Amino acid sequence: MTIPETVVDHLVVATEEVFETMVFRPIVRGAQLDGDAVRPPSNVVATVAFAGHRRGLVAFHSSLAAAREIAGSMLGMEPNAVNGEMPDAIGEIANMIAGAFRTKLAAVEPASAIAVPTVTIGSDFSTRYGSAVTRVLCPFEMDAQTLYVELILNGE
Amino acid sequence: MRFLIVDDSSTMRRIIINTLKKLGHHECYEAGNGREGVERLATTPVDMIITDWNMPEMSGIDFVRAVRANEATRQLPVLMVTTNAAEEDIVEALKAGVSNYVVKPFTPDTIKEKIQAALRMAPSRTR
Repeated sequence: MTIPETVVDHLVVATEEVFETMVFRPIVRGAQLDGDAVRPPSNVVATVAFAGHRRGLVAFHSSLAAAREIAGSMLGMEPNAVNGEMPDAIGEIANMIAGAFRTKLAAVEPASAIAVPTVTIGSDFSTRYGSAVTRVLCPFEMDAQTLYVELILNGE
Repeated sequence: MRFLIVDDSSTMRRIIINTLKKLGHHECYEAGNGREGVERLATTPVDMIITDWNMPEMSGIDFVRAVRANEATRQLPVLMVTTNAAEEDIVEALKAGVSNYVVKPFTPDTIKEKIQAALRMAPSRTR
């Protein structure tokens, strides 16, 4: 099963809006990857669950360096000066992407509610889900960095 | 003018405070959720509140209801900055007593306009 193209497009546009208005960094969308055959090589993963008409998760993946660049840009700091601020900033990025995505969906279907973000930082970790899910991974280029936004839906 | 920024995200508090400073407002206080916001208001008089919606312990909506239920704070302008942008969300926020509403993500110009609009709507003692 695959996630409908219009749903994925809402997620991509929501991500572009967040980077344009809050990060002030242009990003270029890449070709979406269906399923979980490709796992992004990320050190920072921020997830926001949602439930209601649809149930699932929005996950934002980036490298540590990209996460510091994003946090620095949001806060008006040099990336190498960013340290303790980074997890909260990346959580807020995921929160805004999930929120904008949820708002776009709510214009065409019953609304879902989103939870507060969770941020995981480390290396050599992966995520697994207990129930059957459908996944799509959307890559974005931010200069030399690749970021990924993933949509995981239950019961699609 | 004195502002209270209530948001569980320190990043969002910083972004809003940076925007307020660019507008010439340097007296800003912070709270990490609605409960902390209520506690802060009990000790620190402010002229305007900017609050998130989704927060642990006490949500922004419950915080606004508490502000409106308190004689000392019921007239304060309250700007809600949130990702909750469905029509029913905005209706619920306005019913709770929010003065104006900003949907995240927002541009700096948007939040400036909404702050200025909320201040124009505020009672004269807040200007």
